[in-house]
Formats: sequence, C-alpha cells, structure tokens
Amino acid sequence: MNGHAQLFPTHTMKIILPDATIQEVPGDPASLLVILDRLGINPAEVIVSRNGKLVPEDAVARGDDEIRIIRIAHGG
Amino acid sequence: MKPGEDAPAGAERCSLCGELPVIRMSGPDRHLCAAHLIADLEERAARTIRERELVRPHDRIAVAFSGGKDSTALLIILSRLLPAWDDVSLVAITVDEGIAGYRDDTIRAAEAVTKKLDIDHVCVSFTDLVGDDLDTLLVGRETQACSVCGILRRKALSQAAHNAGATKIATGHNLDDEAQSVLMNTLRGDLPRLVRTSDADSHDCFIPRIKPLADIAEKEIAAYLFVQDLFPFLPECPYTRHALRAEVRSMLSSLEQKHPGTMRNLIRSKRTIEKQVDRSAISEPLRCCLQCGDPCSGEFCQVCMLRKSLGK
Ligand SMILES: [Zn+2]
Ligand SMILES: [Zn+2]
Repeated sequence: MNGHAQLFPTHTMKIILPDATIQEVPGDPASLLVILDRLGINPAEVIVSRNGKLVPEDAVARGDDEIRIIRIAHGG
Repeated sequence: MKPGEDAPAGAERCSLCGELPVIRMSGPDRHLCAAHLIADLEERAARTIRERELVRPHDRIAVAFSGGKDSTALLIILSRLLPAWDDVSLVAITVDEGIAGYRDDTIRAAEAVTKKLDIDHVCVSFTDLVGDDLDTLLVGRETQACSVCGILRRKALSQAAHNAGATKIATGHNLDDEAQSVLMNTLRGDLPRLVRTSDADSHDCFIPRIKPLADIAEKEIAAYLFVQDLFPFLPECPYTRHALRAEVRSMLSSLEQKHPGTMRNLIRSKRTIEKQVDRSAISEPLRCCLQCGDPCSGEFCQVCMLRKSLGK
C-alpha cells in the first residue's frame, strides 16, 4: 500500500461519468487530467465539477471528492 | 487539509484575483475564477462585435436560438451588451425541425430563457415550411440529415427574421465550429465555401449574418453557462453521429489538446486565403431562383432543389 492510500484509508472517490454511470475509485490524490486520461476522455470535450463546483482539468481530486464529468454536446 | 476541501496550498488560483479557478485557458495561458471567466467572455464578444462592426445603431437582431448551449450564451451575452448600444433590439427565433425525443426539451428550455430575459420570441417549424417534420423527410436518407436540415433551417430562419423586421441574424457559432468548418471545406475541396466571407454578408438580398462568439471556444461557453447555473443539460442531436463534422470535431479537439492554438491557426490560415482570393473567380455570381425568386448561385435555390428531390 502506498503512502497516499494510507493518508485516506477509508475514502472512496466517486466519479460520475457523462452517461450517468458511477465509478468508485480509491481516494488517492490525482490530477483530473490523469483521471480523464485513464477513462479515455478528451478534456476538451467535457467540463468537470468537483463537489458541485466547476474546476479546471489540472485541479486535483482526492479523498471522498465527487467528480462529475459533463460532456459538451455539439451544437446549440 | 481535509479531503474534499478546496484547493490545497500552492494550487493554481485565478490569474487575476485570489479566488479558486473554474477554468484553464490558453492563448495566453491562464486560470480564471467564475467572475473573471464571465467578464472575459463578455468582453471578448464585445470586442469581436466592435472590431468587425457587427452591430450598428437601430439594428434589430434576430438571434438564431435553439435553446442549446451556444445560442443560450449568445442570447445572454447580447442581452447584457444591449444597453450600451444605440436603439438596438433583439428577437429570438427558434426553428423546430421536428426531431422526436430531442427538440421538444430544447424548445421548452428555449422558452424558459427568453421569458426570463424578457426577449421577443418566435417559433417556426419545418412543417410550416415544407409540410413535414425532419424525421419524416429523412426516412431512408439519414446520412444527409445535416445538409437537408441545414438548408431548411437557413430558409426557415431567414423567413422568420424577415417577418420580424430584422436587420441582422446572429448565430451562436463558436471558435470550434469555425475551425471545424475550415477543415471540412478543405477536406471536401470546397474552395468557394472555404472563402465565403466570415463577417456579415454584404449582399442586399440577404439579411447579413453575424457570429459574435466566433472567437470563443466551445468549452469556454459551456463553462460560462455552468457557473451561472444556465448550462442546458440536453441531449445531442441524434443525427450528428452520421456527420463528417462529428469526426472532424473529435480529431480537432485531440489536436487542440496536444497542440494548443491549432484551431486558431486554422482559422487564421482561412482568413489569409480569404483576403488573397478573387472570390468572383471561383464562385458563381448571384442570381434569382427561377422557382421562388430567392437569391441563389444556380438556376434554382437549394430549398427548391431539395423540395423537388423530396417530391414536395
Ligand atoms: Zn478572478
Ligand atoms: Zn427557390
């Protein structure tokens, strides 16, 4: 187990994907860019909120943050 | 620092104040908080309008307003800039193409916005224009959805704008749309369309079209609306997956991510070509449609040709 995981041993980060499915991952601190990359999502095509507040994609998520990824629909 | 709390010490802050940032922007690279993002976008739209002289005193601007994100942002920004202009008015125009499971929600969203902003609102439909909704027109020809829809929407919009006494038509095209169009026209080898002037079309027959958001990225527009609780959570048009634009869009946004400035560079190339090119040498001169009399480049306008091919 690495140091980060020990810092927040009981925390689970909740990631709400654009299709409304939910992924729960260990709460180790991670840049949203890394999280999006792991999910295969291009940061230019989404906006991301952390605990309900919009954040830039280089923000860090950790602990029991709730991350919501919103796809920007074309057109309008 | 407890988990779930705001940014840790040393994390990025708004480049203009100490607040937490909501967006990272390029060209120049900066982080902005919600208040500065809103101010930045409205100022850039105002600058585009000023520098390209898109709005004149006594204009009545018909805003092509679908209720989607771009046109919602456009309508809000124009309504906020309005008090600074001399005797300018707005009218929102919504075209109901008749796309089941998609358009109904966006029209309701559109009506809520114009009501809140207290702006005149006109709705027109494809059924009014050609007697059928888009879903019916497209049976067996789904791959042509965007071109059929585009031709009819353009017509419905200019008709409604004309009836509303408009002197300009404003559309919500953003930087991403503009860059996509440059690449698509290039990929199709469509030089006349590539160099069709970006600013207000000066031909007398048409109501000039303006694109006040042409310098603003799609993602910036989405963020602008989200931080004001105005982001429309609406489905994507079900026909877009058939379109070349969807492929170009995804390709360009990957390139932009890896090489910031790609989209602006593409548009800059187009502008340079536009200035050099003798437009009359590559485009057909404007004539009047033999069927309906509307200005067009061939014998018949696109709407009349489409009507004929649909057996209407
Ligand atoms: Zn700020
Ligand atoms: Zn015609």
